[in-house]
Amino acid sequence: MRLSCLQENLSKGLGIVGRAVATRSTLPITNNVLLATDQGRLKLTATNLEIAISCWLGAKVEEEGAITIPARLLTDFVNSLPNERIDMTLSPRTRTMELKCPRFEGRINGVNADEFPPIPTIGEGVAARIDPEALRLAIAQVVFAAATEETRPVLTGVHSEFDGDRLTLAAADGFRLAVHKAPLAKPVVERVEVIIPARALIELQRLLGDKEEPVELTINPNRSQVLFRLKDAEMVSQLIQGTFPNYTQLIPQSYVTRAVVSLAEFSKATRTAAIFAREGSAIVRLQIMPGGELAPGRIVLSARAEEVGDNVGEVDATVEGEEAKIAFNSKYLADVLGVLHEERVALETTSPSSPGVIRPVGVENYIHVVMPMFVQW
Amino acid sequence: MKMRKILHIDLDAFFVSVEQAHNPELRGKPVVVGGEPDSRGVVACASYEARAYGLCAGMPLRRAYRLCPEAIFLKGSLPRYRDASARFIAILADFSPQLEPVGLDEAYLDLTGFEPIYGPTLKTALRIKQRIKNEIGITASVGIATSKLVAKIASELAKPDGLLEVASGEERLFLAPLPIVKLPGVGPKTEQLLEGVTTIGELANLPASFLKHSLGALGEVIHRYAMGIDEREVEPPQAAKSISRETTLIEDTLDRPLLRAVLCYLSERVGAELRQQGRRARCVTLKLRYADFDSITRSRTLREATNADQAIFDAGVELLEGALSQRRQRVRLIGIGVSNLVGGERQLSLLDSSMENWELLDRVIDRIRRRYGFTAVQRGQTLPLKDVSPTENGNYLLATPSLSR
Repeated sequence: MRLSCLQENLSKGLGIVGRAVATRSTLPITNNVLLATDQGRLKLTATNLEIAISCWLGAKVEEEGAITIPARLLTDFVNSLPNERIDMTLSPRTRTMELKCPRFEGRINGVNADEFPPIPTIGEGVAARIDPEALRLAIAQVVFAAATEETRPVLTGVHSEFDGDRLTLAAADGFRLAVHKAPLAKPVVERVEVIIPARALIELQRLLGDKEEPVELTINPNRSQVLFRLKDAEMVSQLIQGTFPNYTQLIPQSYVTRAVVSLAEFSKATRTAAIFAREGSAIVRLQIMPGGELAPGRIVLSARAEEVGDNVGEVDATVEGEEAKIAFNSKYLADVLGVLHEERVALETTSPSSPGVIRPVGVENYIHVVMPMFVQW
Repeated sequence: MKMRKILHIDLDAFFVSVEQAHNPELRGKPVVVGGEPDSRGVVACASYEARAYGLCAGMPLRRAYRLCPEAIFLKGSLPRYRDASARFIAILADFSPQLEPVGLDEAYLDLTGFEPIYGPTLKTALRIKQRIKNEIGITASVGIATSKLVAKIASELAKPDGLLEVASGEERLFLAPLPIVKLPGVGPKTEQLLEGVTTIGELANLPASFLKHSLGALGEVIHRYAMGIDEREVEPPQAAKSISRETTLIEDTLDRPLLRAVLCYLSERVGAELRQQGRRARCVTLKLRYADFDSITRSRTLREATNADQAIFDAGVELLEGALSQRRQRVRLIGIGVSNLVGGERQLSLLDSSMENWELLDRVIDRIRRRYGFTAVQRGQTLPLKDVSPTENGNYLLATPSLSR
């Protein structure tokens, strides 16, 4: 194996696949990155067995070959090199990779490429194409609602339903539910539901960066893996097996009180209340007051921390229905308000102990359900 | 600092005195509260007549019986003591809001600044003693001093039915001849470390640096105490920081179903108390005392604060299994407690309503039990108690429900 490439490209590539390198693995080779020549380019691959990321970078290949190198060492070394051409030569007998650029050189001992876990290749299956902008928004609006604890593994994933030209992503951690519907650029031929690990989608989000080319997506026939193909990179993720809760029945079909407020004002008031809430039990109390003939309606947000202090703020609101009280974990409220972009947002409530619903006003593609906190009023 | 007037009021042989007030025939006789002489508990309280035989609180009942077979042994009645204690505290509350109850039978009362209203503190103390005697029928001993420490030691020396005032400025002189164990914080271990130092006066004369070196931070405190300096305020009680229930078992055992049954019973008692207070707890602690009197505690922090019997019990069982697997010794005492208490707030769940159901069930059971007693409705888990514990008014009587809670 002999090739040369630019330090800048190699460094960037290692940065991309580095996210998939295992950190605490029982399989030591997953701490390595696989380097292989591939049709005149250099292919880098890393995996933690849940996800695998590959990327291709331009190189001048003089002799084909493949090797795995400790990822951390290679990345740190390459990052410290000047932005020049790097010549890489593998001596097959000793499995030592030599990296040379003007005035610096290094030799790193590798492990045979065929010991690297096989990276699944997904040729056929259910395929779809999606605009990266739509995918970025969809992931951002649901992924934070997925559970981080492993007590119910399906909840650490994002339920993804492909149906016709629509992708519906849903995540729930037991206290909240986020559902986003995104359009597909190329419809799927059959309806399919899978659970993609939230961690994989977070990595995909990073991989998407500000790319503008559509993302090709394929789910393998036995629904165990999904492949995301970008222009110069690919990610394969295992899918979570299990039954996702039937979330549609968790979305309230009606409300008693609906308040429409400015997203910016509501966010700000929530953040202010959160300052006090975080000192105590994270509770922000909302009182929704319908307007009178002269005064507008409003939402009064208050938070207090025992023996510390308290605060009250309010935002103008267009209130439909009765006066209402509801208390939320301030973080849950701040999380959802933080991923919305519309000018106005609606809060719908039924009772102090029934789920509250938050929807952006003017678009129909997102709904967020938050369970309130039980408090003494 | 202005001169404080602090009273320490200590009811004499409290449990026994309450029994004697209840049944005057017991007066003047050696009486022991704690249980039957052949049962496994310890002496909770002995009358002064019984103390003359060498009996003291904490002594195993069987030994007490050997020392004084003619003593009258009583099981005691916690509700009766609680009632007497409440009346005791109510009397004190008439004199000053700066009131700090300690257990059921002691309290500190700060009367600083009341002399212009009540007259000399000594007279007020006599009035307090008189009211306790008239209204509850028991005697109290009172210490008056400028600090909690000296007031407490004074009341102890005045026992029974006594009154002792230590004048301002005389504290050090008063303490000097007393043995060092009278100081709070000086236990058998500290006493050992201070071998050769017998009186508080000697202790006070040691250099502070020496005590700090040999006893650490405690040394400094003890040294200040020895010199009669104690700036602790009389603090009205705050909401409890923990709730616990424990019991000595009928006999030392490794019988898991029985241990679980007792643990379940205690968990339900703790849960009921939490709900009564409208609070939740985040931490569950198991306490075990083994046959050799070695005690351990094991704690677990829950993911979410709870007041559900089931959640407390589940955590307790897990701790119990862990403890039992580490040490194969018979268990003498078992207890469970909760701490890290928060208010009643709780995050409701979207997907799992089992907690709500448990809490609903607990609330209903609480209501039934308030009216009909514990055994009116109970879990299968606690049924083994039926074979080992007698019941009274639908409640299990455990070997030694710890009388002071």
